[in-house]
Amino acid sequence: MEKGKISSLQMAFMLYPTIVATAILGIPSVTAKFAKTDFWMSPIFASFIGYLTVYLAVKLHKLYPGQTIIQYSEQIIGRWLGKIIGFLFLSFYIQVTGLIVREYAEFVVDSFLIDTPIIVVMASMVLLCAFVVHGGLEGLGRGALLFIPVFLIPQIILFILVFPDLEFKNIFPVLANGVMPPLKGSIVPGGWYTEFFLISFLLPFLVDKKKGMRYGMMTVFAVMATLVIVNLVVLFVLGPTTSSKVYPLMNVARYISFADFFEHMESFIMAIWVVGAFVKISVFFYATALGTAQWLKLTDYRPIVWPLGIFIVITGFWSISNSMDLERYNVNAFPFYGAVIQTLLPLLLLLIAMISNKNKKNKQSNTTDAPMK
Amino acid sequence: MIRNVGKLLDKRKVKKADIRQPDQDSKPEDPLDASFSRNVETFRSIYDKCSDVMFRSFLLFGKTQAMIIYIEGLSDIGGMEENVLSTLMQEKTVASQPLHEFLEHKLPVSKMKRVKTIAECIESISAGNPLLLYDGEGDGFSLGLSKWEKRAIEEPVAEGGIRGSREGFIESLVVNTAQLRRIIKSPALKIQSMKLGDYTKTTVAIAYIDGLVDMSLITEITERLQRIKMDGILESGYIEEMIEDNPYSPFPQIMSTERPDVASSSLLEGRAIILVEGTPFTLIAPISFFSLLQSQEDYYQRYMVGTVIRWLRYVFMVLSLLLPSLYVAILTFHAEAVPTALLLSMAASREAVPFPAIVEALIMEITFEALREAGVRLPKQIGSAVSIVGALVIGQASVQAGLVSAPMVIVVAITGISSFMMPRYIAGIAIRMLRFPMMLLAGTLGLLGVMMGVIAIAIHLCNLRSFGVPYLSPLAPMKSRELKDVLWRAPWWMMDSRPRLTGEANLYRESPEQGPKPNRGSEEQ
Repeated sequence: MEKGKISSLQMAFMLYPTIVATAILGIPSVTAKFAKTDFWMSPIFASFIGYLTVYLAVKLHKLYPGQTIIQYSEQIIGRWLGKIIGFLFLSFYIQVTGLIVREYAEFVVDSFLIDTPIIVVMASMVLLCAFVVHGGLEGLGRGALLFIPVFLIPQIILFILVFPDLEFKNIFPVLANGVMPPLKGSIVPGGWYTEFFLISFLLPFLVDKKKGMRYGMMTVFAVMATLVIVNLVVLFVLGPTTSSKVYPLMNVARYISFADFFEHMESFIMAIWVVGAFVKISVFFYATALGTAQWLKLTDYRPIVWPLGIFIVITGFWSISNSMDLERYNVNAFPFYGAVIQTLLPLLLLLIAMISNKNKKNKQSNTTDAPMK
Repeated sequence: MIRNVGKLLDKRKVKKADIRQPDQDSKPEDPLDASFSRNVETFRSIYDKCSDVMFRSFLLFGKTQAMIIYIEGLSDIGGMEENVLSTLMQEKTVASQPLHEFLEHKLPVSKMKRVKTIAECIESISAGNPLLLYDGEGDGFSLGLSKWEKRAIEEPVAEGGIRGSREGFIESLVVNTAQLRRIIKSPALKIQSMKLGDYTKTTVAIAYIDGLVDMSLITEITERLQRIKMDGILESGYIEEMIEDNPYSPFPQIMSTERPDVASSSLLEGRAIILVEGTPFTLIAPISFFSLLQSQEDYYQRYMVGTVIRWLRYVFMVLSLLLPSLYVAILTFHAEAVPTALLLSMAASREAVPFPAIVEALIMEITFEALREAGVRLPKQIGSAVSIVGALVIGQASVQAGLVSAPMVIVVAITGISSFMMPRYIAGIAIRMLRFPMMLLAGTLGLLGVMMGVIAIAIHLCNLRSFGVPYLSPLAPMKSRELKDVLWRAPWWMMDSRPRLTGEANLYRESPEQGPKPNRGSEEQ
C-alpha cells in the first residue's frame, strides 16, 4: 500500500509540528486560566501522557511489526471487534482532522483575512494537504524535514526580538496555591500529547525501526521544551493577562519593535506558522487516508484521498458552529475524548495482546513439553 | 481526481497502435546481391532524384567492374582520388587471393569496414563514408573518408565564465567525444552510441566512467532511449522531454551543458552524459535541484568566494520567485507590516496609479518577459533598439504617465536581474514561470497564499526524481556528509567523497587529510 520509507528523523520532524503547530496558539491562554502564573509547568506534567502514548504505540508495533492499529486491532480482539475499534479510530481521526482544519481557518480568518470566506481558507489548505498525501509518505517526510527550519528559526528570532520586553518577575509567585492548579492546567495540553499516537501510523514505514522509540521520546521531550519556552515567554511578556487573550503568541509578536523597521511582524509569523499547520493537517490526513484504506482492505489509499478531503472539510463545519464552540470543545471535550481513543484504547489493546500472547506461549510450551514427559 | 476516475476506467484503455508510416527508404536487412550490375541498379533506384549522390564507376585490374558511391560534400574527394582511385586503377596484376583480402592489403585507408547488407551500405553512404562496390563477392567496403564542414571549437555562448576552460562543445559528435576523451584519458571512459530517428538517424552517445557509475543507471538510460520512436531528433531537447521522470513538472530533471569541463566533472561524480549529434548541448543525468544552482566556476575559484556566491544565488533565486508576490501581498493585505515612513512613500507613489497592485504587477512582469524574449530572438543590431524602448516602457515613461508606481518598477527590475543569476538558463525559466501563479495567489490570499504556493512547490520538489535520485537530495532526504557541496563549497582538500546517490559505486575521490600544511617557513629559521 505504502511503498515509501522514511527515516526516524523524518518521523520526528513530522510529529513535532503535528503537536506544536496548534498547541502554541491556544495552550498558553488555556493553561493560564487554570494555573495563573504557574502555567509554564503544565506542559511538563502533561508530557507524561505523551511519553506513555509513544511507549504504547511502539510496544504494540513491536508485537505486530509492519502493521498499523487498524490492522493489528483485528488480530488482537478478533475480526469484528477489531473492525469496530478501527471504525472508532477512523471516525475520531476524520473528525479531529476536520476540527484542526477549522481551528486553523478560524485563526487565519480572525486575525488576518477578515473578509475571506472561511470555506476558501479551509478548502485551499485541504487541497494542498491532499496533494501531498496523494504524493505519498516519502514526500511528506522530506517536506517536513525542509519545513522544520522554516518553522523553527523565525520563532527563535521572534523570541530574541521580544527579549527587551521580557519581565522576568512575572514568574512570581511560584506555586502560590500548591501543585493542583498547574496539574489541572495540564489536562488540556494532555489532549494534544495524546496525538502522539499518530506515530503508530508512521512506525511501519521506518527504515531504522529500532530508533523509533528513541526518536518518539525525543520528540515528546522537544514538544515539551517548546511549550514550556513558549509559555514562559508569553508569561514574561503578558504576565497575568495571558488568560484573557485568544492567541497569546500573536499578542507577543506585536511587541516586536526592532530598529524602527521590523514592527508588526504578525503576518509573517502567521505565514510561517502555516507551514506547521500544513504538516499537522497532512499527517492527520495521511493517517486517516491510510487507515481508511486498510480498514476497507483497499490496495491503495490514493483513490480515497480526494473524497476524504471533501469529507474532512465538511466535518470541520458539521461539528462546530463557531470559534467559541471550538474553544469549548478543545477545553472540555477533546482532552478526554483524545485520551480515551488514543491512550486508553491502545493501553487496553496492549494488555489484551500481552495476555493472549502469554497464553499462546504457555500453550506452545505445554505442547512442546508434552512429548518430553 | 480525474486521474483516479481514469484508473477505474483503466481496464478499457487500449494502448494505441503504432500507426506511423516507416521510412520508405529503410530497406530490410537485404544482403547485397552477388551480381554487381544488380547492386548498382538497386542503389540507383534508392538514390533516385538525389542529385548530390555521386556514382563513379571504374575498372579494377583493368577488367573487374567496380564503383564508388558517395555524397558530394560529405566525403574527402582528394583523399579518395589519391588513395583509392589512383591505387586501384593503376593496379594491373591480378591477385591470387580473394578480392576483399587483396583490397584490405592494398588500400591505404585507415578506417575500412566490409559491408554485406544494403542497410549497412546506406548507413555508410549517409555518414559520408564512400562505398566501394565491386563485382564478384557480393559485398563492398565502407571507406572512412568522411569529411564535412564544421564549426571551429569556440567559447560557449550560454555558459560564460571568468576562470576555466573556454572550449565549448560543437555540433559534431566525434569532436565532442574527443574533447571528453582529451580531459579524461582513462579507458574507463566508456562511450556507447546508438542511432535514433527514422529519417535523421541521429547518433546519440551515452558516456560514463566505468567503475564510478551505477550500471543500473546506464541500463535505465539505454532503455528509455531505445523506447524513443520518432521521425527525427534535431536537438537534445527532444530526447530530454522523451526520457525525463516527470513530464508534468516545470523543473528540468536533466541538465544540459555545452562545456566539456562541466560534462567531465559530472562524469567524475558518477553521472552519465548523453551526447547528441548536431547540437552542442549535451545532457547530464541524473541531477538534483542544487546542480542547477551550481556553476562550474564555484569549484575553480577560492572556496570562500565560491560559498558566498552560492549563497547570493540562493537568496536571489528566492527573490526571483517571491519578490513580486511578496510586494503584492504586503501592499494589498498586510500594509501594517511596512514601517510607516516606507508605507507613506509607497502610498504616495501609488496614488496616481489606477490599477490594484496585482494587476500592476502582472502587467509589468509580462511586459518584462516580452522584452526579454524579444531580446533573445532579435538580430543583434536591433537588440539595442529593444533595450532602449524597454527602458522607456518599463521605466521612466510609464511612471511619469502615472500608469505604474516607481516601487513596482524597482521590484520588477530586481526580479529580472535575480532570475538571470541562475547559472542554468532552464532553471531560471522554470522559476520565472512559477512567479505568475505565485502573484495570483498573493493577490487573492495574501501572505497565506504565497506560503501555500511555496509549500506546494516544495512538496512537488520533494516528490520529484531524476532517474531515481531524489531531486532535493542531499537536503531532503538529508545526507549530512554531502551538505558540504550545498550549504557551502568545501575546499578541494575536504571534498573527499562523491555525491552518494550517483557515486555510491566508488565513494571516495581523493586521499584524506590533504589539507595544506606548509613545511617551509612554518618555523623560525
